[in-house]
Amino acid sequence: MVALTLVTYSIGRLGLSGLDIALGVLLLALIKGHLIGAYFMGLNRVQGFWRWPVTIWLLLPGLLITIAFVLAEG
Amino acid sequence: MTALTQTNPAGQLNRYPPGDLAIWIFILAELAVFAIFFATYAFTRMNNVELFNQFQQHLDRDAALINTLALITSSYFVVRAVAAIREGASQICVRWLLAALGMGVLFLAVKSAEYGHHFSAGINLSTNSFYMFYLSLTFFHFMHVIMGMVILAAVALKARRGGYSIEDHTGVETGASYWHMVDLVWLILFPLVYVMH
Repeated sequence: MVALTLVTYSIGRLGLSGLDIALGVLLLALIKGHLIGAYFMGLNRVQGFWRWPVTIWLLLPGLLITIAFVLAEG
Repeated sequence: MTALTQTNPAGQLNRYPPGDLAIWIFILAELAVFAIFFATYAFTRMNNVELFNQFQQHLDRDAALINTLALITSSYFVVRAVAAIREGASQICVRWLLAALGMGVLFLAVKSAEYGHHFSAGINLSTNSFYMFYLSLTFFHFMHVIMGMVILAAVALKARRGGYSIEDHTGVETGASYWHMVDLVWLILFPLVYVMH
């Protein structure tokens, strides 16, 4: 997670921009979020309904942010 | 609400997440609010791309990096605290919780310095749409960090008095789950507000 954070920071520091870069940064954030949910929150040791809320939460705003950035580019 | 989580033997899956189920319902409600905030930010940016891109460059990414690392580290410390109490090591649990609180203090100090810089430059909620979102989103999260620290401090205090054991440590898991939520939200907020353009 620290490595992914440093990649995100470097992209910001270098001023890299564009839709591909933005969505790549978002993907890194979603991966980190998944790691927090699965391993820190312990949801990888849960079955059924309660295994999924964090993943769904990550995907929902992730999708909306993606749509907004794609529309902004167009 | 009573605790529903029991630590199962290795390899077996639990039916419920760690901690009190009530905190998870609260966490989901909090996450829903932040999701709306994030989506609103992104769709407002859609109509103000140049403005958002311009003022995003004025933010202190070094401070945001320090804060991200502080929260990730604190979350790891909290994981260690939960692991310690599951083995019945109360005082080790307390030490990890205090370490996590230290990282929380670092977060608040860095963020306060950022706010001080903005306010001294005359920036406030009505400066423009970008700063309205930046200040309200980050301050809303800032308040959650404070809330999380209060919870962790209360858990640490009880653990110090021997209030948790191998059999009964739901309180530690409950506080830990809330703190991880605070970390989780920041992990999306950081790239969205500070980096993506």
